[in-house]
Amino acid sequence: MCLSKTVGHSMDKSITLPPDEIFRNLENAKRFAIDIGGSLTKLAYYSTVQHKVAKVRSFDTTAKEAPNDKLYEISVQEEVTARLHFIKFENAYIETCLDFIKDHLVNTETKVIKATGGGAHKFKELIEKKLGLNVDKEDEMTCLIKGCNFVLKNIPHEAFVYARHADSEFRFQTANPDIFPYLLVNIGSGVSIVKVESEDQFERIGGSSIGGGTFWGLGALLTKTKRFDELLQLASKGQHTNVDMLVKDIYGGSYGCLGLTGDLIASSFGKSATADKEFSKEDMAKSLLHMISNDIGQLACLYAKLHNLSRVYFGGFFIRGHPVTMHTITYSINFFTKGEVQALFLRHEGYLGAIGAFLKGAEEDNPNQYSWGENYAGSSGLMSVSPDMNPMQRARSGTFDMLEMDRLERQLVNLPLLQDPSSYIPDTVDLTEDALARDYWLYCFEDALDGVVKRAVASQPDIPEAVVRAEKFRQKYRHKLLTLRHQPL
Amino acid sequence: MAECVGVDSNTSGHSMDKSITLPPDEIFRNLENAKRFAIDIGGSLTKLAYYSTVQHKVAKVRSFDTTAKAPNDKLYEISVQEEVTARLHFIKFENAYIETCLDFIKDHLVNTETKVIKATGGGAHKFKELIEKKLGLNVDKEDEMTCLIKGCNFVLKNIPHEAFVYARHADSEFRFQTANPDIFPYLLVNIGSGVSIVKVESEDQFERIGGSSIGGGTFWGLGALLTKTKRFDELLQLASKGQHTNVDMLVKDIYGGSYGCLGLTGDLIASSFGKSATADKEFSKEDMAKSLLHMISNDIGQLACLYAKLHNLSRVYFGGFFIRGHPVTMHTITYSINFFTKGEVQALFLRHEGYLGAIGAFLKGAEEDNPNQYSWGENYAGSSGLMSVSPDMNPMQRARSGTFDMLEMDRLERQLVNLPLLQDPSSYIPDTVDLTEDALARDYWLYCFEDALDGVVKRAVASQPDIPEAVVRAEKFRQKYRHKLLTLRHQPFAYGSLTVRSLLDTREHCLNEFNFPDPYSKIKQRENDMALKHYQRTVESLDALSWEDRQFALVSGVLAGNVFDWGAKAVSDVLESDPGFGFEQCALFFVDNSGVDIILGVMPFVRELLSRGTEVVLASNSGPALNDVTNGELQILTERIAAMDPVLQAGLQEDRLTLVQSGSSSPCLDLSRLDKVLAMVVRERQTDLVIIEGMGRAIHTNYYATLSCESLKMAVIKNSWLADRLGGKLFSVVFKYEVPLGKVHHNGATLMLS
Repeated sequence: MCLSKTVGHSMDKSITLPPDEIFRNLENAKRFAIDIGGSLTKLAYYSTVQHKVAKVRSFDTTAKEAPNDKLYEISVQEEVTARLHFIKFENAYIETCLDFIKDHLVNTETKVIKATGGGAHKFKELIEKKLGLNVDKEDEMTCLIKGCNFVLKNIPHEAFVYARHADSEFRFQTANPDIFPYLLVNIGSGVSIVKVESEDQFERIGGSSIGGGTFWGLGALLTKTKRFDELLQLASKGQHTNVDMLVKDIYGGSYGCLGLTGDLIASSFGKSATADKEFSKEDMAKSLLHMISNDIGQLACLYAKLHNLSRVYFGGFFIRGHPVTMHTITYSINFFTKGEVQALFLRHEGYLGAIGAFLKGAEEDNPNQYSWGENYAGSSGLMSVSPDMNPMQRARSGTFDMLEMDRLERQLVNLPLLQDPSSYIPDTVDLTEDALARDYWLYCFEDALDGVVKRAVASQPDIPEAVVRAEKFRQKYRHKLLTLRHQPL
Repeated sequence: MAECVGVDSNTSGHSMDKSITLPPDEIFRNLENAKRFAIDIGGSLTKLAYYSTVQHKVAKVRSFDTTAKAPNDKLYEISVQEEVTARLHFIKFENAYIETCLDFIKDHLVNTETKVIKATGGGAHKFKELIEKKLGLNVDKEDEMTCLIKGCNFVLKNIPHEAFVYARHADSEFRFQTANPDIFPYLLVNIGSGVSIVKVESEDQFERIGGSSIGGGTFWGLGALLTKTKRFDELLQLASKGQHTNVDMLVKDIYGGSYGCLGLTGDLIASSFGKSATADKEFSKEDMAKSLLHMISNDIGQLACLYAKLHNLSRVYFGGFFIRGHPVTMHTITYSINFFTKGEVQALFLRHEGYLGAIGAFLKGAEEDNPNQYSWGENYAGSSGLMSVSPDMNPMQRARSGTFDMLEMDRLERQLVNLPLLQDPSSYIPDTVDLTEDALARDYWLYCFEDALDGVVKRAVASQPDIPEAVVRAEKFRQKYRHKLLTLRHQPFAYGSLTVRSLLDTREHCLNEFNFPDPYSKIKQRENDMALKHYQRTVESLDALSWEDRQFALVSGVLAGNVFDWGAKAVSDVLESDPGFGFEQCALFFVDNSGVDIILGVMPFVRELLSRGTEVVLASNSGPALNDVTNGELQILTERIAAMDPVLQAGLQEDRLTLVQSGSSSPCLDLSRLDKVLAMVVRERQTDLVIIEGMGRAIHTNYYATLSCESLKMAVIKNSWLADRLGGKLFSVVFKYEVPLGKVHHNGATLMLS
């Protein structure tokens, strides 16, 4: 009846991206936090970025003799802004990463690193030795909730609904400034069901021992397949009806007077009780997946009803970016609530613990007083859900993944005159839902890229290396456009 | 894709040896008069139900024609008559025997009116043709869930100790619940292959509010895949030997201890089968089976709790083949419910859970007979009792239960209801000592009843001196009752809570079974005749006393009904200290023995009450039990006394003295199962005093009963063990006068005098 994320299996250990493109701005980094799960480590730090801003200044209009007929002058200044960095990598890389951080860490004020996650105690000594920082453990659930509150508040399209066969698999929810109360169902090895009522108030109202660890553990025993991802692969190819006893297997059809259709599962694994035959790995994995997803779905619905909550977010390694589990959970929630409750997922679900641990350490900076914006240039984006579609991307996501958030100089709020802030959608056309429009606009932006590069170079005529930077910009933006073509979300 | 249903389909099927261990004619009893058949065929067990009539002898009393001044000085004559009563038979056997059983039924079925057999259960369609061919009846299928609920309502209403709480390590594994007449609403969680969660709101109203696909079939199916063990029972055996902590990931496996701030202890299961995800080792069959059992039980427990909370239901009954008599699953489900509700909801199980579908199907077919209009009582002589939960303890019994199991219910001649004066019917427990919870008391009483058996057999034979074969029947009675006592020694919970009352009732049922309807009839007759001769003189001498002395003498007289050596001075002191006593509107008097007790003890007391203006309702047994006066006998006695006593005569004529039957044939008294007429009279007369007399009614039962009006419990303790228990001596007099709170003119008093 519990939590903890434990996806551990060894992968090849080559680091596919050079670390300096991942651990950016380490020179000014302070306030570290680390969330070590069963297989993935999530590192968070706060840093400052120095970058050029164009400032305009009015000419002194009193000095009438100026031959200059320009209204104002433009000057380029250096400005320092705050940025949060979040990096996710496999536990296998943890030693390499710690070495790299140590080598590049300049700021010596940092004495402590906040740590959370089930693996925190396992790597405590290593971290203390490598970084020379004291590891300060933070409660996992508190971090998770803190992180969840933070992303829901600060990232507009954080939550989404998953619909496998719809025009757009992901339907992002507009951020409602009023995020509370909500239910968080964290499916790690076990399941924790947490009711969150305010920034500091949450309660674990329920849980179940039938979670990701059960899928993995029973799956491993039944199929001799030891890897979680492979089990999901098997499940996505199986037919559960070969293993499960359906209503029609018992009654020959539907059980009309109880409103049960014939295709409903009457008993998970019911057929394997008496049939003297071999069952395929795929079929058993699929049956197991349905069994667990349905069970969690039903529990989540019952707790949501009991506590009168309509927003239910699902997270944990069982869910994390896996379309198969998002689909079965979504199906189950729809079945049990007859569509009254929607299963919601989070884009940055994997970072919640790290974000929360970081926030615990940074409470003196009051990060919740600022607004933060996702920096699209420094963030990897949601991992591809279709492994066959973009295997390159998938492989990369599997090793390193980044999220960067800029601190905005001011708190951002609703225009008080909005009729209904919770249903307000700024954008007129959602390109994720409209493939034709998406193709058109992606083409437009690519087509316009040459012009933009030219204009960038022309804006800094006195700086020769501007050409080189402009070329880097072109590559980065073109890569983003390419990524968006494959993963519009 | 997926969802979760719960489908009863009791599928715990595997082949056993096919020898029938009991001769079929001892199982399919009274087939000659059988009609209205119903059958519930599960995956492994068949449950057959039929309605039959039993002809048995009853002792009737008839007044002699008093006008014909006959030289006969007997008050009444006793005749033994044949009476026909209705009985429901339920038999459970393995599907393997179905053909043999159908053949037997066909051969013995005499009644040819029956054209249809009601059928339910997942296997009903499979055996449809066989049944139609063998029995020549049309199979009429009934909805499984409807039958289940109908059956459940029936047993909850008609069998007092039907529901129980299971506590493996408690003094008594089974704690039976007192039947609450108001059974609705409740939640039924039926764990068959899948799980159905049904909310039952009234006799005809139920809704399947939830379910789950993780049920008995999942335990069986996954268990079979993991352990290569194909039999359900064997899987449970494996599970009961395993250590789930070897397979499950516990909270402490993740956090090194408890997860304090979430209130999770270290031993909680964080993830079922969590250890098998990464550990590269073999897991034992036992451990995996145990982990699976916990996983499924906990899940069902949590779902049940959530649905109970959502629908605000506090009574949750569990049934289905996953539960059926298996202590392992009852234990894990109970544990889970306790965990999730923190003890707010109790997991309840049913003694006759396996029969619910058959009972329901039968009731569907018998609606024209209005079985729900009657009250029914479990016949202890014909029923097998709850199967043993400890296979090692009584393997013989266990094996038998595995093949044939029977339940018989007698239709009672009247509807039974609560005494309207019970303070709180839902918490009323008739019995003073629960022998299932008290091993010492149990041993003592079982010994007593065994010890007394010879005497009972002798008296039974003596009661039928002209019938030579009575000796044979008496011997059969002895064997049956001794076997029951033996069973109860091993399984005290076989028929619900074991009490002195249930031991006495079982003896009466067994005596009736072998046609000894009233072994005491002659003795009672003799005593009545004798006592009647002294009535006139007793009344005259009482009338000669002063008021105060008379009260003293009257109370003494009642107590003296059995024993003359009493010391009841203090008793009358109690009465005198309460100026209100004796001036009630109406007194209800539950009487005890024939002879001196009723005639010279109770009647003068009644006479006094009548002459003070208090109306009296005399409640006596409907049927015979020991030497208790029956309603039939009391009618005659009262008429005879009235003929010589104008006070009683006037009372009868003015309707201030009423005789009613209690509805019982037991030496004890269950105030929650009384004749409907009695309840009506009690209400009409605005009864404000209840007098309960005798060991059986005032000590073995009702000693702790709380009534909403004044009550007086009187008895002489004729058992040294009990006297000791209650802190007195043999032949102590118990005199317990109680006034309900709020009606204070006196606090009441309990006296025990030697």
